[in-house]
Amino acid sequence: MSERRNLQGNQACALGAIKAGCRFFAGYPITPSSEVAEAMARELPKVGGTFIQMEDEIASMGAVVGASMGGVKSMTATSGPGFSLKQENLGYACGAEVPCVIVNVMRGGPSTGMPTRPSQGDIMQARWGTHGDHAIIVLAPASVAEAYSETIRAVNMSERLRVPVVVLLDEVIGHLVETVDLDDVPEGAEVWRKWAEGPAEHFEPYAVTEDMVPPMPYPGDGYRTHTTGLTHSPSGFPTQNPALAEAAVMRTTDKLVHHRKEIESYRTQDVEDADFLIVAVGISARAARQSVRDLRSQGIKAGLFRPVTLWPFPEEALRETVKTSGAKTVIVPEMNQGQLVLEVERLLAGQVAIERINRIDGEAITPDDISAKAREVAS
Amino acid sequence: MDSLNIRFSGSGGQGLILAARILASALVSEGRNVAQSQSYEPVSRGGLSRSDLVVSDGEADYPLSQSLDYLLILHEAAATESSGLLDEKSVILVDADQVKSQPAAPLNVVSLPFVETARRLGNKRVANIVALGALAQAGSLCDEAALEKSLQAMTPAKFSTLNMEAFQAGRQLMAG
Repeated sequence: MSERRNLQGNQACALGAIKAGCRFFAGYPITPSSEVAEAMARELPKVGGTFIQMEDEIASMGAVVGASMGGVKSMTATSGPGFSLKQENLGYACGAEVPCVIVNVMRGGPSTGMPTRPSQGDIMQARWGTHGDHAIIVLAPASVAEAYSETIRAVNMSERLRVPVVVLLDEVIGHLVETVDLDDVPEGAEVWRKWAEGPAEHFEPYAVTEDMVPPMPYPGDGYRTHTTGLTHSPSGFPTQNPALAEAAVMRTTDKLVHHRKEIESYRTQDVEDADFLIVAVGISARAARQSVRDLRSQGIKAGLFRPVTLWPFPEEALRETVKTSGAKTVIVPEMNQGQLVLEVERLLAGQVAIERINRIDGEAITPDDISAKAREVAS
Repeated sequence: MDSLNIRFSGSGGQGLILAARILASALVSEGRNVAQSQSYEPVSRGGLSRSDLVVSDGEADYPLSQSLDYLLILHEAAATESSGLLDEKSVILVDADQVKSQPAAPLNVVSLPFVETARRLGNKRVANIVALGALAQAGSLCDEAALEKSLQAMTPAKFSTLNMEAFQAGRQLMAG
């Protein structure tokens, strides 16, 4: 039955995860993400799932990795300081290819920063927070409905591709309550990781397969397996053989290149003839959405390119959008000193003028902030 | 697409976010779309606290308030922080006793004793509901029955009578 209701972004993440089959949550409450844990504590027991409040963020990430290796879809949620603490075990999940989802609701930083104020300061940390070359997917919802649908997609992609997925919200989207009808949100079929099948003898837990995703042994199914954070050969055991070591890292990063089409997601608004293209995520993209409308009503041709999958960045799509629109200027509004813009500059430097709008004062970027910049450039 | 922007502001612990949620729920039951945001300080109680509703048909482009049609100020902590979002059409409900720096003409200000009224009813913590009643009376924002239903559904049953008294007292305060 269709049911419109008011739902919070953080709660939508929890409901989306449960809808996608997540049955384990370990976390340590932290503003502005605590409602994800609250909702999981309330809802998981109803579906036979497990909620654990751990002693800290390090342990909660460890518990999530362990639960996933035990065969359960697992998630945690945190914010800035806690996200920093999770990086070590998140790196383990990247290296060992353990499916898991991390919701990070961005607040002002660095350090404890401004716990209740919004920020987009973790755009680069979400990509590069853990050390070493690694594969990771980062999704950036811009509404409550999307917090729900993208968390479902996060669980599904982490399962299908054996990769950690970060759902990156800013505080505004995390705490925002919007009217949604979850029945209207496409969710797709439930996805499970590929389980190991066939003879247990000679089983290799990190075998190189055509789709680059090794099947995972289900605990108790009789497969001998070894999981480690050390660089490992297809056998699962550590190796320092240069060729095997290179191949091990290459496969996990090439895996995302290979599956790029299913990972990539972006939305556009009024880009066909845009002179000004705004590239933004989260609440900054909502500001851009209104700014585009306002600017168009004043005769300024603006358009919006919004990465929904933030990492890997939809680079071909952005290049193509700029090319077909003929945009001369790209404006990147973000609540940090300039992170998303670095990726935009990497892709478009020399082809278009790139303008920055940055706020680090704990306030969200407004439609007027963006419109003023566009008018300034246009004049 | 014209949206309606309402802000509940005051001090943390005054139930401003709850009042906004009750109104938001009633509005949704009438088919409107609501975006509710909130702002508060990292303290257990006290500090500036507010909750905004952006009411629209369909999902709002930008879900945060850029101007205010209705503003409630229940505490001195929130006396001036919204002044940049007001114009002469804004309706401002302000607590007569709690707010020393009362906004003045040409703004459209209605100064009423919300907290004192709540205290007379037996519990100053229902000042948020008194104010909600006054706001409903001032703006005809939604059907009264829908609002009362949300109020009952979203507050503890043991305070049901007190909350209903507070809501009606607020309406009467506004009606004069």
